[in-house]
Amino acid sequence: MSSLNKTIKEKTVELTKLVEWFDSDDFNLETSIDKFKEAEKLADEIEKDLLSLKNEINVIKQKFDSEG
Amino acid sequence: MEKSKTHPIFSVSDFIAIVNQTLEYAYPNIEIEGEVASFKVNQGKFIFFDIKDKDGSIGCFMTVWQLRVPIEDGMKVVVSATPKLTKWGKFSLTVKSVRPSGEGALKKSFEILKSKLEDEGLFLQERKRLLPLIPQYIAVISSTGAAGYADFIKIVNERWGGVKIDVANVQVQGLAAPDQIIKAIDFFNQKYILPEALIIIRGGGSADDLSAFNDEPLVRSIAGSRIPTLVGVGHETDESLADLVADVRASTPSNAAQILVPDKFEIIRAVKVQVSSLLPRILQSIDQQKKNISAELIDVIKLIEKAVDEQSMGVLNIKSVITQLNPNRVLARGYAMIRGIIKNDSIIEIETNKAIIKAEVKNVIIK
Repeated sequence: MSSLNKTIKEKTVELTKLVEWFDSDDFNLETSIDKFKEAEKLADEIEKDLLSLKNEINVIKQKFDSEG
Repeated sequence: MEKSKTHPIFSVSDFIAIVNQTLEYAYPNIEIEGEVASFKVNQGKFIFFDIKDKDGSIGCFMTVWQLRVPIEDGMKVVVSATPKLTKWGKFSLTVKSVRPSGEGALKKSFEILKSKLEDEGLFLQERKRLLPLIPQYIAVISSTGAAGYADFIKIVNERWGGVKIDVANVQVQGLAAPDQIIKAIDFFNQKYILPEALIIIRGGGSADDLSAFNDEPLVRSIAGSRIPTLVGVGHETDESLADLVADVRASTPSNAAQILVPDKFEIIRAVKVQVSSLLPRILQSIDQQKKNISAELIDVIKLIEKAVDEQSMGVLNIKSVITQLNPNRVLARGYAMIRGIIKNDSIIEIETNKAIIKAEVKNVIIK
């Protein structure tokens, strides 16, 4: 697992928790604006991270024919 | 070998050896197409059958381990073989491989093997394992020059990133294909760090091209993989035994890519929708707060009004009492007010509603 992907996963979990807070009994107007800004920031970071990730393709040198 | 004046004289076994050398030199590997007849397995190891057409028939010999697909009498096949003269002087073919020939034979062979593997439970749903939701390390077995592989990689790259992809470049059609794929499966299964998914892909082709994926040892190798397998071979309508035995079946290599990794653009969109759905929640809360405050204000105003009303009523009562006590009101009712000392012969002042009168006091009688 790459650390970058792990970070995306963590950020996604964090975002989900924030969204759940908005529907929970803990919701209050006073802190909601700060939480909303936090969620917006996380969403932007997730987008940026996802768009910057590249796959690493490695063709195995080993031959798989009979002699290989 | 003795030599006569004109021709060499061979022993029987020498002659057989010479003939075999000649045959091996002339026909090191021949392919013959014909119909299978008199198929039989001896001692569970040796296979004998004849390959024939309407004008001829040749005996064939091979071991059960060389037979990769089921065959039976009447099936049209192509044998890859070396011709040989046995020590009993019988001409036969030592078969290296045999494959069904023509659509009918391929289908028949497919059905026989499918039924056999089905009876063994290899296609059972309970055997199927899940693929990782978001893989970090995968192995791909395919031909890197094939269009199917290019499609797969293109779509994986479009949809997701951060995945380590090890690729085994193998033949995906022809006689060598099954063994190469099996070796690649073994290679990945023996790795110290196992890939999270093993993807076997090949683009579309004829039934003969795709027949490598109906090879019994290959199908068993896929079934025995420690790594969960995803197989995408051919087009949507193609069905191979490799598909059926895989943990997850994809209809095409492109579909395999879609199954394997999520679409980052869908995730980005979903995340944005999630966040934008929070704003109405805040606005709704603000509205609710406004309503609560308005309601509380109305209550306070009502309380004030009530208090003012009560106070006003008190003032009115007092005013009424005061009004009643006004001396002019008493005088208006006909009474008179007397000022001065009440004693005989004193002058007093009498005030009525309409006049003020001076009067002399006479005849005071004390009550």
